[in-house]
Amino acid sequence: MASVAARSFVFRQQMNTRRFDFASCLKIKSFYSSYSANPKEKSPENYTQYHEVSSDNWKFVERLKPPTVVPSFPKNGSCFSDWTPPPDTPPNLPYFVKRTKNFMVPVYLNFEAVRNQRKITMVKHIEGDIWALEKAIKSHLEEVTKRQVVSQVHEVAMYIKFRGDYVLHVKKWLLNAGF
Amino acid sequence: MATKIINKTVTEFSLRITRCFFVPSKTIQTNATLFQERLETSITNVEEQLPTTIRPPLPIIHSRKLAFPPKFKAPRQVWVSNMDTVEEEKLGLIDLHPEVFAERPRVDIIHENVRWQQLYRHVSYANTKMRYEVRGGGKKPRQQKGSGRSRHGSIRSPIWRGGGIVHGPRSPTPYFYMLGFNTRLNGLRSTLSAKLAQDDLHIVDSLDIPTDDPSYLEKLVEERGWGPAVLFVDDNDIMPLNITAASDSYGHYNLMPVYGLNVYSMLKHHTLVLTLAAVERLEERLLFHLNRNDAASAGQKYRLDSV
Repeated sequence: MASVAARSFVFRQQMNTRRFDFASCLKIKSFYSSYSANPKEKSPENYTQYHEVSSDNWKFVERLKPPTVVPSFPKNGSCFSDWTPPPDTPPNLPYFVKRTKNFMVPVYLNFEAVRNQRKITMVKHIEGDIWALEKAIKSHLEEVTKRQVVSQVHEVAMYIKFRGDYVLHVKKWLLNAGF
Repeated sequence: MATKIINKTVTEFSLRITRCFFVPSKTIQTNATLFQERLETSITNVEEQLPTTIRPPLPIIHSRKLAFPPKFKAPRQVWVSNMDTVEEEKLGLIDLHPEVFAERPRVDIIHENVRWQQLYRHVSYANTKMRYEVRGGGKKPRQQKGSGRSRHGSIRSPIWRGGGIVHGPRSPTPYFYMLGFNTRLNGLRSTLSAKLAQDDLHIVDSLDIPTDDPSYLEKLVEERGWGPAVLFVDDNDIMPLNITAASDSYGHYNLMPVYGLNVYSMLKHHTLVLTLAAVERLEERLLFHLNRNDAASAGQKYRLDSV
């Protein structure tokens, strides 16, 4: 009971303080979003004092911010995942498959919107002789899966698509090839 | 000739900068005063001899550090020329990043960009009247039954001659759409690469020319074999006074800041002339967008609770 009374007393106090007069209402209605409406800056004595603690501590703030660019990887040292860093020298082949900006192998699984959903394995970022690359990957996939593999070569956009989910096979082949 | 330029205010010139940007008169006067100072020390009358430019021993521009250095693709090397004299003088050799200037040109992406640039601001004002807009047709032409003829409710129905059009054009119809960010980005890369590959890209140290005479610019372009139409691109959007005055009388010599660079303009002009500052800015911006990892949130629709 006492707590309820106390709460009602507090509420009434808040109500009383909230009653404004017309003049104070006018003062409150200021638009500070525009530069011209802002009051001009006065001398530093008119404002609260502050003192700089330490500019060395800014590093604790900076390390919380996410990086905009993927940082470069350490050259030596193994990863607990099966990610391997891109090689320093390109393999001696008539084609090249460039890594993405996140240093990943550019093989993707797409789903085609047909009646029975079709899985498509896509290889992007291809440079050089795309037909030779397609032949090499296709023969490898047919050897591994013992099945005929259908492929599409897009010479303008420079990608290859294989009908089926062969992402892991293609990634493994590319890593072995030295891309 | 030169005195006329001093007496005139620059605002009287119709500055034909492509996609005309509002240039505050305060900043133009600064350029004019600078020009005035330089005039006292140099000769600007075309009939008299142009001052011989004194330069330090060449090459002036030695090397350039590339951001996100390319691993297996060789940077493209380009001459840096001058604009001081009509004859071309090579000031040095710089590297251009292959991911910006040596990409395989995607003709389909270039086409998409050109189509977008032409269409996004297109508004069709074609209009046809619907049945309720065509004059008349409020009254039923004849009785429903008894005449032996077909039944109709209005003489302006779409099946009637002179009647309203059902699915015709309705004015104004906007054709605005936004092309995807990466499509526009790759459009710039493809066009720059195509320009460089076809010898239509030239780098100059700056756009400062010694005189404001239009014939100087014309002679310069003719001498160097640059195309009939030339697009000069600089980092700053306030161009030097001389080149602004000289190119003002020509519709085919245009000045543009880097942030205005677009696929359509690059294709419209035969030659693209970039300043060193423009190359730096261009590469920095394009490579930033190619290598950034936080674009997902930037490309999303605006949300109230977004930070």
